[in-house]
Amino acid sequence: MTAVRTALLLTLGCLISMVTLARPVSYAGGWTVIEESDRQSSSALVHYTPSPTMSLGFKTEVNRDSDFALYSVHPTFLAKRWFGTDYQGNLYFHGGIGVASGINDNPQSDQMAIYGGVMADWETRSLFVGYRNRYLEAGHHANQFMQVFRAGFAPYEGDSGDLHTWMILEIDHRTSDPDSVTATPLVRFFKGPLLVEAGYNLTVNQPLFNFTYRF
Amino acid sequence: MKFLIKTIVMTTALCFCLPSAALPQHDNANYATHDMHDHEDHDREEANSSHAANSGHGASDGPVLTRTEDIESALADGGEPIVADVLGVVCDFCALAMNKIFSKREEVAAIYVDLDTKALNLVLVPGASMSNQTITDLAVQAGYRIAEVRRGDAALGGAS
Repeated sequence: MTAVRTALLLTLGCLISMVTLARPVSYAGGWTVIEESDRQSSSALVHYTPSPTMSLGFKTEVNRDSDFALYSVHPTFLAKRWFGTDYQGNLYFHGGIGVASGINDNPQSDQMAIYGGVMADWETRSLFVGYRNRYLEAGHHANQFMQVFRAGFAPYEGDSGDLHTWMILEIDHRTSDPDSVTATPLVRFFKGPLLVEAGYNLTVNQPLFNFTYRF
Repeated sequence: MKFLIKTIVMTTALCFCLPSAALPQHDNANYATHDMHDHEDHDREEANSSHAANSGHGASDGPVLTRTEDIESALADGGEPIVADVLGVVCDFCALAMNKIFSKREEVAAIYVDLDTKALNLVLVPGASMSNQTITDLAVQAGYRIAEVRRGDAALGGAS
């Protein structure tokens, strides 16, 4: 079963890297730096968008719970974008393939790691809902599934170049964690090319900090 | 776990089915608005907007040029004003993308993406021109879609 699963995930990773394939995809020619830090891990992703339907990046992720670091090539594919006068909806596939290495005196050997998942969002200028999941297979380092649901609102609608503020509630589910479901209220500030999010996980008392810079 | 694997396999299959549907691609070199969307998934509002544009009706009903300092200056130099209604432009990243893509063009003297009116406001360099198809294609490069383009007096709020 493990072999079949690994084969499927490998295939997924190869397909993703071939075809493809998280605001994960920018304008054609754009670069984006994304940092995320939550209750389980901290990560940094730098990606380039060669076409408006895909981006390709390099991601480093430190998993603090399991003491391993993940270094991967990270493609993201915009599968579908729904447009309206007042809304935008997106469906993305994201994935990666790389190496998982032990850190903090973790003696386990390096392992090939592969992951994939789906992201979806729908937003207007004052309402936002989003979902993303990821399955990670990293040999003896980890075998994780996580999914995150978000809903938020903007207390006011800013125009181009204004400071945009969002109030968001994030619910995450991680099968590998004893506290599998947790809640994190957060605030998002958004101005020009910079997006910053700060929150606090009320279930496990851990901070959340994310930022995205696009250029 | 089986369900998960099944889900991943199915999403992978979808990868192959959806790439070409992710963003609109256009062959029509003459006019931007009518054929720019696929007719399977657009909403009624969008359709009405596009068809209105194509038929020429309601061309002056949309938002008019937003006058920033740069836009006023470019207008004073004699550049052509263009207002393009943009679908899906809801945040500053959207505006940034449009700015980056259009600002690279030498025909563009001034640009402003107005999130309130959901419109791309352009003033061209005096003597320069930019077709509706080019505007549409550039918007696609930014990740968005143009519903309608107004020029000249129509962009300034006068008769079309």
